[in-house]
Amino acid sequence: MKLTLKIWRQDNAKSKGRFETYHLDNISPDCSFLEMLDILNEQLINKISHPVCFDNDCREGICGMCGLYINGRPHGNDDAVTTCQLHMRHFSDGDTITIEPWRAKPFPIIRDLVVDRSAFDKIIQEGGYISVSTGGVPDGNAIPIPKNKADEAMDSAACIGCGACVAACKNASAMLFVSAKVSQFALLPQGKPEAAKRVMAMVKKMDELGFGSCSNTYACEAECPKQIKRSNIARLNREFFKAKVVSEE
Amino acid sequence: MKLVKLTSITKKMALAAAGLFLLVFLLLHASINLCIIRDDGGLWYRNACHFMGTNYIVKVFEVILLAIVAVHIILAVIVTIENYMARPVRYAVSSKTKTHTGSKWMIWTGGLIACFLVLHCMNFYAVKIGLVEGKYTAKIDKVDAFFQQKAMKMQNGELNQKETEEMTAQLQAINSIPENKVDVKNKELVNLTKEEVFKYCGTDFEDYEPDFYTMANELFKKPIYTLIYLLVFVVLGYHLFHAINSLCQTLGCNHKKYNGAIETCALGYAVIVPLLFAVVPIYVMFIK
Ligand code: HEM
Ligand code: FES
Repeated sequence: MKLTLKIWRQDNAKSKGRFETYHLDNISPDCSFLEMLDILNEQLINKISHPVCFDNDCREGICGMCGLYINGRPHGNDDAVTTCQLHMRHFSDGDTITIEPWRAKPFPIIRDLVVDRSAFDKIIQEGGYISVSTGGVPDGNAIPIPKNKADEAMDSAACIGCGACVAACKNASAMLFVSAKVSQFALLPQGKPEAAKRVMAMVKKMDELGFGSCSNTYACEAECPKQIKRSNIARLNREFFKAKVVSEE
Repeated sequence: MKLVKLTSITKKMALAAAGLFLLVFLLLHASINLCIIRDDGGLWYRNACHFMGTNYIVKVFEVILLAIVAVHIILAVIVTIENYMARPVRYAVSSKTKTHTGSKWMIWTGGLIACFLVLHCMNFYAVKIGLVEGKYTAKIDKVDAFFQQKAMKMQNGELNQKETEEMTAQLQAINSIPENKVDVKNKELVNLTKEEVFKYCGTDFEDYEPDFYTMANELFKKPIYTLIYLLVFVVLGYHLFHAINSLCQTLGCNHKKYNGAIETCALGYAVIVPLLFAVVPIYVMFIK
């Protein structure tokens, strides 16, 4: 395959970025998107110029490190995959591919296509956990959890925090992320004692960090590589309302 | 940066609650409008307007409605600005992600509705609160009673020279009132300018009301207004389809058993209610 790449290059958080155009030849359709970028970088290094920086780690869709805005879609034009799982067979010979970093105020660019997603960590630090006292391991059957609830909690917990929801949303809203994190605990008995405190603190942090609010466009759901459902957002809204109105926190 | 110190979810819930109230109000408004197409010379419609214009409970709701419209618009603008600010550097390639129909256009469809509301209020509400002159109507028995009262005063010699002259002039005027200004069946004077109200009923007569029936009929005989009204109802439907879906989600209502029903109801409301509004100008323009 012959490709034209338009890639966002930016030296650091402060400097002004620009698109640079690169031409690649002989790309196999079986190659993954990140491998294609590796090939480009090898060529750039051979020419003694700076390679394109992009985040990645596991390259099998589980760590959530990778994330590129490719031709107008986070993680590119395939559904339910991360950028590292995207393959060049989804493109055609002669294509021009525009690659941009996630764009959101709380995700400042570090370099080129790498953004700082520690805003997500800050939200988690506000309550995305349950406090446990160590001691003897309780018996597994001591806390009854219906199968459907366990499944739903597990589905919500599938979020890998890649930030595609924020990148896809016209408001750069983190509601799908926050709702998945709130839901995975709200659905389980272990999460109940801290539920009200958790949801209020996490929403407050999300707002503080400058994420937008939810306009229910559902772009997040459409682009989530882990197919986190919008029903989590409705649950977050319910949990928030309950916390505000009913709880004495 | 946050423009107001409420959490994003609180703002959205308030916006949605205000929207819900407006959805209920639209049903009431549409049902009153439909009275226009009843072939009774405006009896039902004028009665409905009379009730809406004079009942005290309605007046309370009118203030509440105005406040809620303001809340909806102010929150919508705030939320939209904040959301825009959450992405200071925009993407070079516009989004190719599928989104819910209408959801990206809410501020534009809403803004158009707001512009229309200004026009609509100039057409009707401004007449009611006396900012703009329109057409007026008065019940014949009320005019009569008022006249009798004055006649009594005249007999008792309580009127001065000027008032007596005025009354004679009024008596003459009302005897030569054009036919199209009298609704014999419904016993009303209609289609009066303010000057005519004073001419036929006396300068101190107060029991007249805006004649919205005549005004609506005149307005929708003008193609430009009918066209504007019809276009706005399409835009309104587009706003409402996403609005109703979004409202449920914002207020926490999302259940796989009912999501299909919500989508269907939203579509039903967004098509049927604007159609009910559209029936009136179409009827006046093309059928009447
Ligand atoms: C009859 C008139 C109207 C009705 C019945 C109505 C109803 C609604 C409802 C139910 C919602 C859903 C709230 C949610 O997302 O949870 C909504 C959203 C919205 N409305 Fe309206 N609306 C009306 C007029 C307007 C006007 C005049 C504006 C002018 C600015 C406006 C702007 C918006 C915006 C921007 C949103 C979406 C906010 C967001 O989620 O980003 N609406 N409307
Ligand atoms: S690199 Fe780990 S998910 Fe893509």
